[in-house]
Amino acid sequence: MPLIDAQGLRRTYGQLVAVRDVSFSVGRGEVVGFLGPNGAGKSTTLRMIVGYLGPSAGSVRVNGFDVIEQPLLARQAMGYMPETAPLYPEMRVDEYLAFRARLKRIQKPELAAQVEQVVHKAGISEVGRSLIGSLSRGFRQRVSLADALLGNPPLLILDEPTAGLDPNQIHSVRQVIRELGASHTVLLSTHILSEVESTCTRALVIDRGVLVAQGQIAELRRRRGQQRAIVTVHDRHQQALGLLVASEHVLGVTPVSATPSLVPPAPFASSFEVDNIGYGQDAIVSLLVTFEPSANVHECLEDAIALLVGSGIRVREAKLQQSSLEDVFRQLTGADVEAT
Amino acid sequence: MIGFLAIYRREMLSLWVTPLAWLLLFAFLLLQGVSFYITVDHFTHFSSLSVEGPVQSYFSSLFIPFSLLFVCPALTMGLFAEERRSGTLETLLTAPVSAASVVHAKYLAALSTFTLLWLPTLLYVVIVRNVAEIDWPVVVASYGGLFAIGAAYLSIGLLMSALTKSQLAALMLTTLVLFGLFILGVGERVFDPGPLQAVCAHVSVLSQLEDFSRGVVDSRRLVFDSSVASLSLFLTRRVVDSWRWG
Repeated sequence: MPLIDAQGLRRTYGQLVAVRDVSFSVGRGEVVGFLGPNGAGKSTTLRMIVGYLGPSAGSVRVNGFDVIEQPLLARQAMGYMPETAPLYPEMRVDEYLAFRARLKRIQKPELAAQVEQVVHKAGISEVGRSLIGSLSRGFRQRVSLADALLGNPPLLILDEPTAGLDPNQIHSVRQVIRELGASHTVLLSTHILSEVESTCTRALVIDRGVLVAQGQIAELRRRRGQQRAIVTVHDRHQQALGLLVASEHVLGVTPVSATPSLVPPAPFASSFEVDNIGYGQDAIVSLLVTFEPSANVHECLEDAIALLVGSGIRVREAKLQQSSLEDVFRQLTGADVEAT
Repeated sequence: MIGFLAIYRREMLSLWVTPLAWLLLFAFLLLQGVSFYITVDHFTHFSSLSVEGPVQSYFSSLFIPFSLLFVCPALTMGLFAEERRSGTLETLLTAPVSAASVVHAKYLAALSTFTLLWLPTLLYVVIVRNVAEIDWPVVVASYGGLFAIGAAYLSIGLLMSALTKSQLAALMLTTLVLFGLFILGVGERVFDPGPLQAVCAHVSVLSQLEDFSRGVVDSRRLVFDSSVASLSLFLTRRVVDSWRWG
């Protein structure tokens, strides 16, 4: 039984349809990134999962309980951290967490130990007696995270857990999330791709209220990313270019850099060895080869190398370019979505 | 129940660690002090002219409804409005507690604070006891009447607080409604006898205070107060439930 089972979720605000027909499930032990640009319907969907908003159509079951029909049982199975980390400024951190622990029906004998445990996990031991109103944004975020952890729920739902944090804080929050992923099922929303790449095993991509893709990170990368390779040749690059353009499955070839260029374009920097810069009179040229999306890119590259080497062209390096998740994301959520 | 108690404790803490409750207590006791002074002054000079005792005089003075009009809206204005404004409502309503627990805990916290505000006025009774006879049933009835009116007024304030995201708007709405009720009650003394006057008499806070301060506990008045409270609490629960679908 999946921990989250969302079926045909739809949510309208008056005339506006914020989420339409979103179905997905999250199994135990997964760390799932819920990805989408701002205003795509991420928070609305998460709020329907935690039962704060009712779906206009469809249903959500958490841990087997319908969040509308059996709200208390469903809510006990999850810890939720809302987007803005709302807290009561007039309370002290330990007071607040004790209050939340009682709300979550943690009985008195375990209460102090539970609070201490989440305080430790979230790294807020030093601010226990501080007024929440006096805390920095990063600490508030962590207090909110500690609250979500109270009662050790199997499922954590984190809405933009790193929003508004500085790079160091983002790093430490991601660290915490990765650690939590070992013992909890996590569904986190974000519009930052690197966050999903660095913390999640699977991603759901939502755009304008529609789930446009879901799958393992690696699978998503493959899915819509352009298939490209960099082939670096020593000398006779014009001939190499001509050969490649003429071969099967190749859409285009562009020279992207040549020595003695001291500043190679950043993404391809690794194709160059420092020694090569300014070395000899023959130019070393990198060619960006784009293959047809349908082609098997590995075979295509092998064929291309064989072709070049067969023609006596010295191939320095050949490397498939991993399409980054950014590309996938832009393609999935860009203008071409309307066509699909 | 554990969730209900947790929210109740948090509301009490929030009311009393912020200056609001203390400021209210200060202003409220100042008002009651003036009222008591006037009562005492009156009785030291004209005691032979009065048909009623000092307790009746104190509880049926205009100071009492005036205090209620200013204390009740202030006590309830933040209960939901502030949670909605700051977003903490989201954490509250996604915790494993029912909407009814949330509403009732907040209401009980306001009612407890209201009761605490009146507690120091018991000193006046002690002072009066040193110089005059005290009719204890009248004292109990008077405080009971006050409590009943407070319970009704605070429930209206809670409902108004749930209807808006602004504490100020909640304060003004509540004051408006309570003042409307008060004015309606004054109608009892304005209109000629008839159905309209009967309605006004039924809701009149002034008459209720007068009756109770004479030791006349009219159950119709208690039924009216508890009906107002029940209806407001019911509506508040519906409002809280409706947010999910709004």
